[in-house]
Formats: sequence, C-alpha cells, structure tokens
Amino acid sequence: MQLFKRRLLGVLLLSTALISGVSAQSPADGRAILERVEDNQRAIADAAFNRIQLSSCRFGLQNSQITCAERARVKALESVSINTGANNRDTRSISIVLEPAAERGISMLSYTYDDASQDNETWLYLSALGQVKRIASGNSDDESEPASLFGSEFTTEDQDTGKLEDYTINVLREGTESGREVWLIETIPNEKRSRSTRYARTVQYVDKERFVVLRADMYDRTGREIKRLMASRVEQVNGNWMARSLTMMNLVANRLSNMAILEINSDVEIPENFLTPRTLTDVAFREAELQRIREQVE
Amino acid sequence: MENRLLVLARLFAAAPGFVVRHRIVILTMVVLISVLQAVGVATRTRIDISTDSMIDQTDPAIAALNAFRTQFGSDDSLFLVYEARDGDIFSARSLAATRALTESLRDWRSLDVSRYDADLQELDQIRRVQSVTTLRVQRVDGDTLRSERLVPDDIPDDPAQLAAIREQALAEDDYRLAFYSDDARFGALLIQTTFGARPLEGYVPAVNAEDISLDDAFSNFGGDGGFELAFDEQATIDEVSFELVDMAEYKVFFTAVSAVLADYEADLAFYPAGNPSLMSWVFDVLQQMLWLAAGVVAIFIFLLRALFRSFSAVFWPIITIILSLLWSWGITVWIGATLSTMLSLTVMLVFAVGIADCVHVMSAYFVFREEGKSHESALANAYEKTGLAILVTTITTMAGVLALTGSDLVPIKVFGFMSALGVFMALVFTVVLLPILLSIWHPAPAKVAGTSRLLSYWVRWQQLSRKTQAAVMLVLLAVLFAVTGIAIGFYIGLTVLVTMAVVRWQSNILAACPNWARRRPGTILGVFALIFGASVYGTSQVNIDSNVAELARESSAPRIAYNMVDEHMAGAQTISVMIDTASSDGLLEPVVLKAMEALQQQVATHYRERISRTYSLANIVKDTHQVMNQDDPAFYRIPDDAVTVSQLMYLFNSANPEERRSLVSDDFSRSHITLNTYNAGSYEYQQVISELDADIARIFEPVRALFPELQVTVTGSVPVMMRAMDEIAQSQYSSLLLALAVISAIMIITLGSVQAGLISIIPNLIPALMTFGLMGLLGIALDVDTLLIAPVIIGIAVDDTIHFMTSYRLELIKTRSMPQALNNTLRDVGRAVMFTTMILGLGFAILGFSEYLGIAKVGIFGGLAILMALLCDLLLLPALIIKLQPRFGIKGDMESFSDAARSPVTVAATSSERR
Repeated sequence: MQLFKRRLLGVLLLSTALISGVSAQSPADGRAILERVEDNQRAIADAAFNRIQLSSCRFGLQNSQITCAERARVKALESVSINTGANNRDTRSISIVLEPAAERGISMLSYTYDDASQDNETWLYLSALGQVKRIASGNSDDESEPASLFGSEFTTEDQDTGKLEDYTINVLREGTESGREVWLIETIPNEKRSRSTRYARTVQYVDKERFVVLRADMYDRTGREIKRLMASRVEQVNGNWMARSLTMMNLVANRLSNMAILEINSDVEIPENFLTPRTLTDVAFREAELQRIREQVE
Repeated sequence: MENRLLVLARLFAAAPGFVVRHRIVILTMVVLISVLQAVGVATRTRIDISTDSMIDQTDPAIAALNAFRTQFGSDDSLFLVYEARDGDIFSARSLAATRALTESLRDWRSLDVSRYDADLQELDQIRRVQSVTTLRVQRVDGDTLRSERLVPDDIPDDPAQLAAIREQALAEDDYRLAFYSDDARFGALLIQTTFGARPLEGYVPAVNAEDISLDDAFSNFGGDGGFELAFDEQATIDEVSFELVDMAEYKVFFTAVSAVLADYEADLAFYPAGNPSLMSWVFDVLQQMLWLAAGVVAIFIFLLRALFRSFSAVFWPIITIILSLLWSWGITVWIGATLSTMLSLTVMLVFAVGIADCVHVMSAYFVFREEGKSHESALANAYEKTGLAILVTTITTMAGVLALTGSDLVPIKVFGFMSALGVFMALVFTVVLLPILLSIWHPAPAKVAGTSRLLSYWVRWQQLSRKTQAAVMLVLLAVLFAVTGIAIGFYIGLTVLVTMAVVRWQSNILAACPNWARRRPGTILGVFALIFGASVYGTSQVNIDSNVAELARESSAPRIAYNMVDEHMAGAQTISVMIDTASSDGLLEPVVLKAMEALQQQVATHYRERISRTYSLANIVKDTHQVMNQDDPAFYRIPDDAVTVSQLMYLFNSANPEERRSLVSDDFSRSHITLNTYNAGSYEYQQVISELDADIARIFEPVRALFPELQVTVTGSVPVMMRAMDEIAQSQYSSLLLALAVISAIMIITLGSVQAGLISIIPNLIPALMTFGLMGLLGIALDVDTLLIAPVIIGIAVDDTIHFMTSYRLELIKTRSMPQALNNTLRDVGRAVMFTTMILGLGFAILGFSEYLGIAKVGIFGGLAILMALLCDLLLLPALIIKLQPRFGIKGDMESFSDAARSPVTVAATSSERR
C-alpha cells in the first residue's frame, strides 16, 4: 500500500522547525550561523502551543506581486510540543486538525528520538472512524521519500533539523533581502544525504542581525531552481525574532503553500501525560487539557 | 497532339547541343548556386528527431494526453524485466544481485567510473528505482501498522526463510506481476526517469524578475481566528514548457544503464522494456539505416558499372543526383523548414528517380553509340527518345509525393515537398547538366560485343568442364555463405547471378518477349488475370494496423522483451482513464470512487485478454479503510460518506506531493485509473478503447447527477500514439489511391487516348495491388511506415511503364507499324527498363536487411513491386497491345498486328530497319 510506505517522521516537527530567529551575534562561518538557527528552532519547539493555517493555491503574478490565482485550500491546526530526553534532544508533539470540517479532529502524535537506534513513533487518530493506529516507521534515512505537511508544498526535505554535519556549508556572499542585510549561505548535501533529497543545493538568506531565514532557494541536480521559500512578517515573539508567514513556492507546478503562524507560544506549561495516545481518543481529556493550555496563553 | 509530342521530342533532342554551347554560363551558375546551397545545408539544417514531432499536436486526443501529462506528469519509465539464472528471483543469490543492482542505479555516483565505457553521468535522469528489495509490505499487528521491507536488510540463507519471503510476496496483489511473475522466475525493476519533465533549456521562472514581491495578503492576518487569502483569477500563471526528448538522449541513457547491468549478467538475464530502451533501439536502427543507404548507393554504382562498362557513365549520373539532392535540401532549409528522419527516404527516392532518368538516357545513348554514331549525335538521339518519358515520369512521381503534402503533419509535408523538389531537380540536371558533364568526359566508342572483361571471363568459364564448374561454384558459394551468413550470402549470390545473366543474355531475353507475347497473348493475359484476381482478393484481406513491438524482428531485443513482459508480467503499456469532476474535492465523493471501482471491476472481468491490472485512488481508499479497521477484509470497500473518505485520504495527502500529484490533482477534482495492458496493434487498441468508452458512459451515468460537467476520457501515450498512427495510415492510404488516380489521368493525357491510358493503368495497378495483396495473403499488416513509402515505391514502379508506353507511341507515330513499334520499343526501352529494375530492385532489397521491419518490409515488397512492374512491361503490355491493338489516337494508315501476321516479320531482323 502506497501511502504508508512514506516516512511520516518529522512532518509535525517541520511546522516549528521552519520558524527561526535568535538574538543577534556575529558568528564567523556559515556552519556556526546555521547552528544558531538550529538551536533556536529547538528552543522555540520546546513547550510550544501553536495555531497554524496552511493555505495552498496555484499562483500567478499580478502587478509584479505573487498572488493566488484561485481560492486557496485551507487547513488549520493546533499543535503542542515539548522537548524531552537527554539534552532535550527528543521531541514529543501532537497536532490536531481544526479545518476543513471533513478532517476536523484528525490528530497525530509523534515521538522522535535523537538516538538513531531508537525507532520514532507515530500515532494517528481518524475521528470519523474513531480509530487510533500506531504507525511503526524506522529511524533510518535510507530510501525515505519526502513527506508533505498536510498535503501542502512544505515537505520533510525542506528542512531537516540536526543534520548539519551531512552538509557542506559555504557563505557565498553578503547581500540584501526584503530590505535587510543577509548572508547567502549555500548548503550542499553529502553523498548519503543526497539520496533522500531532490535538492542538490540550497541557498538560504539569513538576516545578519535577527538570524531569521528570509528566503531559501532550492535547486535540483541539474542546477535548476525548483522551489523557493519566502518569509515575511518578521516579528519578535517572546524575545525571539521569527517569521510568522512562510510561503513555499513550487516553481515547476506553479503552486504555493503559505504557512501563517496565527499563534505561537513558547514556555507553556504542558503536562507530560498530554502527549500520550490517550489524548487522541479521549475527547473529554483532550478538550480539558487544551483549555488549560489556552488559558495560560491568553 | 502527335505533332506536339514530336515537337517536344525534338526540343529534347536539341537540348544537349544547346546546353553544351552555353556550358560556361551554365556551369558557372550551377557551381555558384551549389555553393550557396551547400552553405545552407551546412549552416541552416535542423533535424528534429523527437517522436512528438510526428504527431499532430492539435489532434483532440493528443490535446487530452497533453492535459493529462501536464496534470499527472510523464510516465517515461524503464521497465527492466529480469530472469533469475537460477530460476528463482527469491533465492539468496538473486536477491543479493537485485539489491546490489538497485543500489548501483540509485547511488550511481559512488560507482567507479573508470570501470564502465559509458557516460554514467547520464544516469542523472533516474528519478526513482523500485525493485523487490525496496518494496514494503503493510502489516497490521494489534493497533500497530507496520510497514516492513519485503526483503530484510540481511538477506537470509535459510531456505525456509527465503520460502516465507516468496510466499508473502506472491500474496501481495498490488506487487504481483508488477515486480515479479507468478512463478517467481521473472522480476522487474521500475526505473522512473525525468524524461519529458525537464523545463525547457533557458527557462527562467517569472518570479525571478526584478522587483517581484509577495502579495501583502500573505502577511495580513490577525492574531486570532483564521483568515482567507485574497486571490486574483486574472493573475498570470507562468506555464512551464518541458524539453522534448530526442532519441539520442534515450540512447545515451540506456547505454549507461546497460553498462551497469553488465555487472549482474552472471546472476540475472535482462529484458528491458519501456520507452527509453525502445527509443534507444530505434536510434540504433536509424544508424543502421545510414549503412544500408550507403549499401544501396554502392549497389547502384556496382550495377551501373557492370551494365555500362564505363566509369564516366557511372560518375556523372552520380554527380547529377548528388547535386539534385544538394539543391533540394538547400532550398528546403533556406525556406526555413525543419527536416526529420524522413530525410533518408528523400535521399533514397531522389537516388532512385535520378538513377532511372540517367539509365534511360545512357542506355539509349549506348545503343546509338553501338550503331557507330558520334558522341554528340548519339546524345541528341538519346534525349529525343527518352526526354518526353523522363518528363512524364517526373510529373507522375512528383504527383505521388505531393499527395503527401496534404497531411496535417509538418514532417510529412516537408518530406513531400522536398522529395518533389528533388525529383524535379533530377530532371533539370539530367537535361541541363548531364550533357555538359559528358562533353567533358564520355565513354569511349562502343566495344565489340564479347570483348568486355566480364564476357571474356564468361567465355573462359564456359570452356571449363561441368564438374569443374560445379566444384568451383560450390566452393565459392560455401565461402560466401560462411563469410557473410545465409541472408547476405544469398543476396550477394543472387546479385552476381542476375548481373551475369542480364549482361550475357539481355538481347535474347528482350527478343524472346515480343515473340512469346505474339504467340501466346491469351496465356499471358490469363496468368496476369489470375495474379490480378488474387491480388484484389489479398488486398481486401489486408489490415491497416500499427504495432509498436512488431516494428522489430522476432529476434530483436525489444520484441523479446515485450513478449516476456506480456507473457510473464503485467504488460508494458498503459491506458489511462482520466476523470475530471470539474469540482473541487469531487474525488472525495463516494459516488465517484464507487463508479471508478465499478469500472475497474468491469475491466477485471471483461477485458482479461487485453488488460492485466488496474490501479486508482479507489484502491488506496479501500486499502486504508481495511487497514484502519483491524485489517478486516469486510472493510475493503469505499465508505458511504464523504467525511470518512476525506479522513482516509489523510495519510495519502501527507505523501510526497509529487507522487500525490501523479495520481490526483491538488484540488482533488481530477484523477485517473491506470490500466496495464498487453501489447497490441492500433486496430485492437481502437476496439478496446471504444468498448471502454461505452462501459464508461454506462457506469458513470449516475455520477452526472452530482457532477453535471463530469468528463471521463480514455487516454495514455501509447494508445493515443497508436490512434494517431492509425489516422496517418488511413489518410496515407487515401493519398496513395489519389496518387494512383492522378498518375492514371496524366497517362491518359500524355498518351492522347483513353484506351491507351486505361491499358497503361493495368500494369501500373498490378505492382501496387500485388504488393498489398501479398501482404494481405501473408497476414502482414500495412503499417504507418509502409504506407508512407508506398507512394514512393509505386511512383518508381510506374516509371518503367511510362517509358514503355511513351516510347511505343513515339515509335508508332514514326513507323506507322504496330509490330515494328513494339519491337523497337522492347529492344530500346526494354533494355533500360531491365537495367533500372535490376538496379533499383536489388538496391531496395538491401533495405530488407533492416532491423526495423517498417523499412525491411518496404525493401522486400518494394523490390518485388519493381520486379513485377518489369514483368508487366515485358510481357503483359505487349500482350495487351497485341490483343487490343490501340491506335493511341493516331489517325491514318497503320500496319496492325493482323496485317503483320499475314507477312511475318521477325524480331531479330528489325534492328536495321529503324528510321
């Protein structure tokens, strides 16, 4: 069966991994810059409660502006995540679909482990069937196919956290993007990594002051740019700079997905038993706990 | 009319003298313009060898296919079937080899380049490799879904464990026949490529322009609640055009794959199917065509030399033909037309027509030289005798190829135009240039018969004893067959024997024909009537059918591979049923999925012979439904409500967007059912498609209540290409009939009498009819290649008849005696007709060696048609003329055959009676 053959690992992490920002410092090289971005991503994922809206559409140009050419398909979700384990490098997260109505209540719980020998775990709950299934998927990266975030243009290959050692990193030059001073940093996957990604090269535009990725261009093996990420609405949230609107454009299919972080809250107190399979099936428990979390952030 | 013809003949007689007097001006102009044309050929030639160029892109079926490709991507995959040398693809050894091969193709960058004599960089076209060692199987274990590899990382040695893997594999219906055969002797690697999915070279996305920014709508959202993104239906969408793939790219890719395969030949035997391997083979065949074309030219030169025994008589005609080609090629590219692979056909046609023109002129010239005439007067007489016929044959051949310009396809139009131009140039150069060239260097005065070297060998040969002759012949034949093989040996032997026989006995043969025709016209007419009747019957049995696999010989790699895939696996071709609900999320409605499921069931029960398996979104929904319900088979069905369907789609939605897009459109309004089919011809495909259309109309009727704009279309590259081919073939069949009609009309006008015109149509029809009839009787289908070249072959075949009839009419006007006109014609034109038949017949027969049956059929049947035309001219025409005694509209006194019968005239005595 085709659909379960995909590696679903990391789908949920992705929503937080793409949000980056760190207090200003001037690292000496590209790897250091990106490490700062990584560290910050983990910090933001910790004890976080987010509301995200994903809008996907076919795009076009009107008056030199990139815009949707059709009504966007919208998915909205809430997610809660905490970091656990040694050095806080393991992650537990849950995502619950709010929209569209037909998918309302679909939930996914994920445990990802930093230790490569330990298999990641995922539970899926389909509300219409009232069924929960644990999905066993290996931790190895071999032959993994990129998975999509809720059917959007964002995929697991767009950002792999904690794998910087698999890349050659070069600072290409300095420049400006959206009126901000940036470093253009190129990442090239090594042989092993290049097996599981279509990107032969990515160029990230990192804000020199705020450490936010403002733009990323993804190239395939023939040197053609196939996808482009554009960040906007860069704001300071809880002391960290972050882009609250991320737009991923597929330049071949002419489709884009916009991820709007409607709400982001770090350092929320989340009871550990919330991130267990019980939350998926026990609606009363889930709603009561979610209510407590919402009250914290209001 | 008779006078006008004589005037024309006299004009042709005066031509050589005229052009030789103005040779400086003419030569200068020819050289200058030739240089110009050469520059054009060198700098402006564009040859498009992409297969798409041969298909009418405005055909609605092609438009549907293009829409399908835009939506779901290219399915240009290499389907690599392999047979385990130890008979079991699930043996430890076979599995290890399969895994290593899969990894080598995926991870080709880590291979040691120096070990391979191919450019491994070409493997960059590989997008994905799947094999039995990469497959995962789904297992429900309590509340856990496990997706495990069918073949574990450590391949076990234990036979029991291996047997368990095999058993599990054979129980997976989605993989069986796609990745392994029922008996586990055969397996397959599916190598998906990026062919046809790469944007055009130099394509720059519109978003790369300066001052492009994101619409503010992407940032304007509040803190709470969702928001709706503004959209503008007027926004300009930057449509990406993809590179057309040409055969050379398939060739280098397949060469690189083959280099890697060689490492695993010890354990696995490979049978590659799919477009890349087929196109690579076609590319090789085209290369072979160049050699065959060179062979054809070589045989032309050999035979010209053998028959005329003069180098200048070979050299100058070849020069005129090359110039004809150069000019027609040059003019075509200067006009700006793009050439196609059909260029080789133009080359052959111009060579054939040019050879025929020159042979007729030179043959008549040698007759006059043998009579002791000077070079100048022999040439004038030769042009007087043959000029008119050359003009008429040029017009009829041009009419034949110009009929092709009515085609909707640009390459065929260009072929028709360029060929017509080439044929015309051959006439111009034969009349204008050849006399000048011959004035520079021409054959020596005729040798006395019997003194040629060939004949002196013949004399010596005859002095040998029978036993010695037999022994020498046997030894020579044995050596010939040992060195060249049976087919080529037979061809060479035949060529030598025919050449020797014609050189030795031409006069005897030509003298015997009219005698025989006069003694037994009834018998000859009877035999030809039988042939005609059988041909008409055979023609009524002929199928117009194009079959991709049958373009290759039984023993060729693609044919074997296609047979393997059909016999042991699910077939290598696909038909797609595209479903467009014209409504967002339409595919999530159970009524649509249930209709898809019903169609798949109908196909599974009623199309078993043609379609091996089906796959669609409905399979995914049913599978997920079962898996989410404790793997209970009772849930292997489409749920009744749309909400459940949407939720079952959740995981599919999370898959790689490119993969998802290959099955369903982003807004879930369009999807398709894939039908794996066994190879079949265009005729059968058409039947299957029309039956499918009927089933679709019935099954999807209830869906229309919910989706009034629903469209369900049968498409897919192979069936659509077949349909397009069939349409080309049908239209070529019509243009062939049109060409025959036009040729007949020209004959009636030229010969000045309907009766004579009709008489000439019969021998014109018989070669064509016999060819089609023979194909019908032998069960060989007329395919698109055969039909494209048929008008060319028939044009050449009728040339000889035209020469015969035109010459007979001129002789009739001059001699006013039917018997004498017939004898003169047979003696003079007969020789040239025999020579051209030999040269062109044997030349075309070389094409019979082609690996590509489309060309080979043309070679063999074309050669037969030309031979038949000769028999028609030497036997049937004389018999018809003797029986019907047509006057060709010539008034006044004339000696008829019945008059002559009363005062017998012997054939041999007529040679001195001329003029």
